[in-house]
Amino acid sequence: MLEQFGYVGIFLLIATGFTVLIPLLPKLFKLMGLIPGKKTAAKLVQYECGMQTIGKTWVQFNFRYYYFAVLFVLLDMLTIFLYPWAVNIKDLGVGGLVAVGIFLVILAVGYIYAWRKGALQWK
Amino acid sequence: MMFSVGLDHYLILSAILFCIGLVGVITQRNVIKLIMCLEIMLNAVNITLIAFSQYITPTLLTGQIFAIFVMVVAAAEVAVGIAIVFSIYRSRESVDMENFNILKW
Amino acid sequence: MLIDEMKYITPEISLLCFALLIVVVDLFVTRKGVLPILSVIGALVAAFFTVGLWGNGGISAFNNMIAIDQFGLFFKLLILASLVLVVMASNKYVLKFEKFQGEYYAVLMLSAIGLMLLVSAVNLITIYVSLELSSISLYALVSFLKDKASSEAGLKYLILGAVASAILLYGMALTFGLTGSTGLTAIADYFRTSSTASPLLLTGLVLIIAGFGFKIASVPFQLWVPDVYEGAPTPITAYLSVASKAAGFAVITRILMTAFGQPDWLHAEWAIIIAVLAALTMTVGNVTALVQTNIKRLFGYSSIAQAGYLMVGLAAMGMATQGNADIRSGIIFFLFSYTLTNLGAFIAIIAISNKIDSDQIADYTGMGKRSPLLAGALTLFLVSLTGLPPTAGLIAKIYIFNGAVDQGLLWLVVIAVINSVISAFYYFRVVKVMWMGEPASQDKVTSSWPEWTALAVCCIMVVIIGVAPGAFVGLTQAAVKMFGI
Repeated sequence: MLEQFGYVGIFLLIATGFTVLIPLLPKLFKLMGLIPGKKTAAKLVQYECGMQTIGKTWVQFNFRYYYFAVLFVLLDMLTIFLYPWAVNIKDLGVGGLVAVGIFLVILAVGYIYAWRKGALQWK
Repeated sequence: MMFSVGLDHYLILSAILFCIGLVGVITQRNVIKLIMCLEIMLNAVNITLIAFSQYITPTLLTGQIFAIFVMVVAAAEVAVGIAIVFSIYRSRESVDMENFNILKW
Repeated sequence: MLIDEMKYITPEISLLCFALLIVVVDLFVTRKGVLPILSVIGALVAAFFTVGLWGNGGISAFNNMIAIDQFGLFFKLLILASLVLVVMASNKYVLKFEKFQGEYYAVLMLSAIGLMLLVSAVNLITIYVSLELSSISLYALVSFLKDKASSEAGLKYLILGAVASAILLYGMALTFGLTGSTGLTAIADYFRTSSTASPLLLTGLVLIIAGFGFKIASVPFQLWVPDVYEGAPTPITAYLSVASKAAGFAVITRILMTAFGQPDWLHAEWAIIIAVLAALTMTVGNVTALVQTNIKRLFGYSSIAQAGYLMVGLAAMGMATQGNADIRSGIIFFLFSYTLTNLGAFIAIIAISNKIDSDQIADYTGMGKRSPLLAGALTLFLVSLTGLPPTAGLIAKIYIFNGAVDQGLLWLVVIAVINSVISAFYYFRVVKVMWMGEPASQDKVTSSWPEWTALAVCCIMVVIIGVAPGAFVGLTQAAVKMFGI
């Protein structure tokens, strides 16, 4: 048991070391004279995606995301039940197929409901 | 002395987590935090179930199946919970439990 | 085989089909009057299938997940009956939900499906999942009005309910871990071979009792009841107070009898816990009800008190040695008569509040002059809840207290009788307000024919059970047959 946790310990050490090492690398290179240490405005910008950020970071998300999040949770739960079935698809046979079919029909009614009520529209 | 992780440790961990969740539910004022504490309680139970499944009935998957159902139910519960918090927020502009005091005695 | 066993859950499947149909029909049809008709038809079809399974005593399906026994089938019929009555009673009330009427009926039916599965579940997993199916639907229904009080009630119900179910789940996990199984009969087998239980297992038992104590509103888990009853839409309050409570008692009876009923040292263990809780529940419910001014809140405390009387039956069941079916039939009979009485009272309250738009007892002044029929019906139900002749309430109380005295719980029955006397004070205060005072306005209070029909059914049943209980006692004695005992 302890040996197995030993692997986790080694993993932890490597992960910590790697995280500490990476920010220190530029300093090291600068000390060795491999890179010039000139500070320009572009270099001091926080890295987002290569673009300048627009507005503040703490903007409120649109309320509409909530509906999508809830629908996503539904879909997520779907996979939880489909996985065990998919793994044992041969053993479960027709009965399993029918059960999963019923399950999907129930979920489909939920989606038709969400669609007709306009929850999938971005207004 | 050789130290190894056994059933007891999982049970103690889950009991501690369950108590943390319960204390959180009792003391938190913010509804969203409160719902998160509920999730901690349910996840603590999941740890118990899976630990028992692993150590007591290693050949059966009862405990793990139970845990899957608990996860699904917890997701449904949170979805409904957040919807109720939404409707309450629209009428009161607050998610603080202290302000929900129309109904008493 | 999975498909062959599908026939055992036809009531639930047919009800589910109708619930889904209502959701879809609601999307494409503009005339909403068709929805209650569909849900009543759905409930009747499900009842038809349930009756078809009657007599199929004591088999289990789906690898010991669901039991088909008369006990469960009886409660399924009771739940379906209360579903039909609630749908009929909410005929006018749903106008408050505007464009969400379809959802109202569909979610109501989903919660009924949850309760129906709950009363026939014989595995901890099924019990948990069906309990949550019914609870989550009820959380949504309680906050259906979307005004301040309703959403606050919904939030309180959700949080306390979720904590209770987490506690219940922890108890189930401990029970599973120490017995190695989630099937109720397998847990019973474990106890048959052991002479003592580890403290952890007893903790599990206590946590399970606590979790269901929330559902049946026993002290100290009763705090949600008045708030939720007051804030919820009135038809949902009615539904909560009868169907949800009946199913809660059914499942706790089943768990205690099937899983924890075997060796003598074990059932004496929980009997004493429940006896003490019963005494506390009755007293707290009745004494707090004395000072209420809101009728829905009054009924909240009254239902706590009634749960206390029922727990007297549960305690007696624990005191008795194995196989005492009379006490169980007493509990079933009490639930049967309580369901009809309380539902009837709530239908009258719904009809009155549709007109006067208030739940204050003071606003019921002179209701006897404004609507003698409604006031008369409500008086009958209040008399029955007090437990006076010639109503069902009296027979039910005699039945349940008699069993308790036989098992040596005289002290508990004395407390219960004192409590019944206390309860007369607040029940008759409502009666006095209705018949004595001068009405604030001369407007007649009328209501629609579905409400009248539902009310008439409840009135007639309450009186018939009170006058000639023989046939119903026979029915409840047939309904004690439980899988695994």
